[in-house]
Amino acid sequence: MDKLVTAKNVAKRFGELRAVDGVSFEIEKGRIMGLIGPNGAGKTTLLKAILGLTDCDGELSVMGLDPFRQRRALMQNICFIADVAVLPRWIRVSQLLDFVASVHTNFSRDKAEEMLARTKVADRRDAKVRELSKGMVTQLHLSIIAAIDAKLLVLDEPTLGLDIIFRKEFYANLLSDYFDEERTILVTTHQVEEIENILTDVMFINEGRIILNQTMDSLSDDYVELLTSGEQADRARHMGPIAERDVFGKKVMLFQSADRQRLAELGELHTPSVADLFVAKVKGAVA
Amino acid sequence: MIANQLALIKREVWEHRSVYVTPIAIAVIMTLVSVAGMVTVSAFDREVELAIFGASSIAGDAERKAALTVFFLGTSWIFLLALAILITFYALDSLYAERKDKSVLFWRSLPVTDAETVLSKLLTAVVVIPLVTVAAIIVTHLVNLVTSSIWLAINGGDAGHLIWGSVPLLDNWTAAFIVTLASVIWMSPFVGWFLLVSAYAKRSPILLAIMPLVVIPLTEWIFFRSVVFAEIVFGRGGMLPLFRGMDLERYFDEDRMRVDEGAVSLLAHLDLAGFLSSPSLWAGLLVCGLFTTGAVYLRRYRGEV
Repeated sequence: MDKLVTAKNVAKRFGELRAVDGVSFEIEKGRIMGLIGPNGAGKTTLLKAILGLTDCDGELSVMGLDPFRQRRALMQNICFIADVAVLPRWIRVSQLLDFVASVHTNFSRDKAEEMLARTKVADRRDAKVRELSKGMVTQLHLSIIAAIDAKLLVLDEPTLGLDIIFRKEFYANLLSDYFDEERTILVTTHQVEEIENILTDVMFINEGRIILNQTMDSLSDDYVELLTSGEQADRARHMGPIAERDVFGKKVMLFQSADRQRLAELGELHTPSVADLFVAKVKGAVA
Repeated sequence: MIANQLALIKREVWEHRSVYVTPIAIAVIMTLVSVAGMVTVSAFDREVELAIFGASSIAGDAERKAALTVFFLGTSWIFLLALAILITFYALDSLYAERKDKSVLFWRSLPVTDAETVLSKLLTAVVVIPLVTVAAIIVTHLVNLVTSSIWLAINGGDAGHLIWGSVPLLDNWTAAFIVTLASVIWMSPFVGWFLLVSAYAKRSPILLAIMPLVVIPLTEWIFFRSVVFAEIVFGRGGMLPLFRGMDLERYFDEDRMRVDEGAVSLLAHLDLAGFLSSPSLWAGLLVCGLFTTGAVYLRRYRGEV
């Protein structure tokens, strides 16, 4: 498998604060990696380092390039949406397409037009971005990004401030129009539940460190949730759950590499949601 | 590289429509003012008749040239004033607005370096805006000449002889081109400073740009009782080494009542070699370069938006 991103001991400090504290990981081609972390965990700093927007210590290579020093070359093959609000508000839709077409060699104007034709932006070519609704701006941005033949797409809270319908649509379009085995997506969001079924890999980051990094498939092998109560709960507790919470008077316990057969005798088994797993991992101990 | 520059400069003009709207607005105003002037003057029948007679029969070619050149200067100087204001506000806004509306994140997601972007903003300020201004000066001049010709014809003058036969178009226009571009290049350290401030300011770049210009000379005066900084900075505008000693009296040689033919040319007053060989020009360009480089680094290394 091709390694698209390779990080070895990557760190970034702001004075005393270690925003990213020596992380190492790899992202392979054709994956959809979710980077999940609480506010201030270092997600955005790490993404900025990958995008060459900020300098960092350690070894970081993106498609064989040093992102900070070779940003221009990197941007030929990388796209990112930081937040849908970032398209310049004064520009007209047609001007935006003209501009991207003239500076981006990997941009296919035809493809962008074709995608836009299917959206509400279709007959608003002369409108300025500020005159479009937030949903239309998202469609516009995604059409541009999808028309760029880039190897890596980085999404940093791409659906912030959008309503649920547009958020769903955004990810659906992302999969249908953008993603294929030649492309790789790195995404961060607070709304984990909305993306967990599209991810192939997940990485948790907390206080600048990676606390979990594995494929979604192996996640369901490694972690299991037990729904139990009463005396069985006490027995289950002896098996060392990494987290426990109450749901409607019952206990939900999260186990890592546990004996499933024994657990099954104590209650119902489920695959934990990424969100629950995340909370458990970040808290780091039984609540 | 060049294709990118053209696209970037085009983008600047899209974003900052004042780049062309302002000169066009001034062109319209100046045309209206001169038309209004002609209409007003038309009320004085006898004087107009006398003036036309004088211009046709007594004045020589050189006087007519001189009069038309003075007319040209009269309708052109305001463009230079507007140019200074336009460039100042453009440069101060150019790297600040993109951070304020967060679009810098989008721009930086494209394969364009920070140096290319900042360069496009510098070029817009010191080349594009002045060129648009020169074009507006020329168009205004032509429109004014046409309206004057019509006015002359109505009042019984021969416009072909009095205006089109005498007006030194090429001389006037070339001089306008040189003076406009040279002035901006001469003042380029200020443009560089404005770009740097624009890249740095968290709010109100204009205040931040002006503050050092007040604080530094004041501090210098308090501690050293000297005015070196003020002389260099505020004196620069008056030191443009482009003009040979211009002496309006040379236009009208009283002894002969005839204008010295050579003195009528605006170009003859310009010392391009003197301008280009002035160490002060190159020092200024160096300062502009340093400030601009600073702006590139600020845009590049500023992690936060």
